[in-house]
Amino acid sequence: MSDDKSQVKIKFFTKEEDESLQVSDTPLFVPISLKRYGLSEIVNHLLGKNGESDEAKPIPFDFLIDGVLLRTSIDDYLIKNGLSSEAFLNLEYTRAVLPPSFLASF
Amino acid sequence: DGHFDDNIDDIDINVDFNEPPRSMDEARELWKSSELATQELASGLCEQLRLILEPTLATKLRGDYKTGKRLNMKRIIPYIASEFRKDKIWLRRTKPSKRQYQIMIAVDDSKSMSESKSTELAFHSIALVSKALTQLESGGLSIVRFGEDVKLVHPFDKPFNNQETGTKIFQWFDFQQTKTDIKLLCNKALKIFEDARSSSNTDLWQLQIIISDGVCEDHDTIQSMVRKAREEKIMLVFVVIDGINSNESIMDMSQVRYEQDPNTGAMNLKVDKYLDSFPFEFYVVVRNINELPEMLSLILRQYFSEVASI
Ligand SMILES: [Mg+2]
Repeated sequence: MSDDKSQVKIKFFTKEEDESLQVSDTPLFVPISLKRYGLSEIVNHLLGKNGESDEAKPIPFDFLIDGVLLRTSIDDYLIKNGLSSEAFLNLEYTRAVLPPSFLASF
Repeated sequence: DGHFDDNIDDIDINVDFNEPPRSMDEARELWKSSELATQELASGLCEQLRLILEPTLATKLRGDYKTGKRLNMKRIIPYIASEFRKDKIWLRRTKPSKRQYQIMIAVDDSKSMSESKSTELAFHSIALVSKALTQLESGGLSIVRFGEDVKLVHPFDKPFNNQETGTKIFQWFDFQQTKTDIKLLCNKALKIFEDARSSSNTDLWQLQIIISDGVCEDHDTIQSMVRKAREEKIMLVFVVIDGINSNESIMDMSQVRYEQDPNTGAMNLKVDKYLDSFPFEFYVVVRNINELPEMLSLILRQYFSEVASI
């Protein structure tokens, strides 16, 4: 059976003080194949930032699990940490600190 | 759709060489406390189920008798015409119905159950439902454990001897399995039901009650399996046990999916309520064991009224 449909339960939170960057903390069921870009897309979707205008422009985010920057797919993170898709992950997001040109290569 | 039958022959449902993960002493204590916590609820549920199932067990009224319960209207005119000699005009309840129920309780043993703190509610639910069904004496009861694999921990043909059986069943649950394979569960359940059916000739109704936190992927495929079960006259009822963390209810949970735009081919991100695509038609969400008898009765009543209308 292909694993590409595997999903995991996550919850987003942020320490950003700007209220316009805070999403609700209800759980979400997402594909485990997601990386930084896909997760960023979801947070922006939840924030309503998917337009052209300045205030609706998507913002690139970085993601941390237990304070550690997520550099791989969720799937790889789970494997490396001896977890499975049965886990419930708390994902912290922050405004990306890397330059946009570098982010584009993710 | 042959892909549903993948792996079905690889797993032997009757033989198991593994040791159960939980010690007998621990399981016995768990069973005792679960039984105690649900004693009254079980009697209540049993009575409610009796009210629901009894009409479906009712015997047929038949003629022709000199005394009886209800008049056979077809016999009235001949009765008068014969100057009251043909007086076998009454119907009686004669032949008892041979209808029987086989009820399977399938319990989620996956790790998400412990992550969402649903395990106590799961144990209480097993004790509650199995005790109520044993008191009801409506037919066979089986218990199945699922997660990564599917295991029959109590078969239909064995009697349920309360504490002894309860302890043995509880020994098989430790909620550490790293997958929740509902597709495999549906496949195996159909097979178990099929085997149980062939050994009996009576009018048999088969019901599966799934007890789980409800977190499962690939709703589309599961939905077609639920339909298949229905075609085989197997009723599926899903009891979602919703943990104890007030801010993590499955009712609030959303699901991310990607939908292809038919024109551009681009994948569009969609966020929907998780339960909107939940593949089981008959489900209830239970947060507290006290709610379970009422909820289960409600969903079964709804089910039977729908079955009766087909
Ligand atoms: Mg699970």
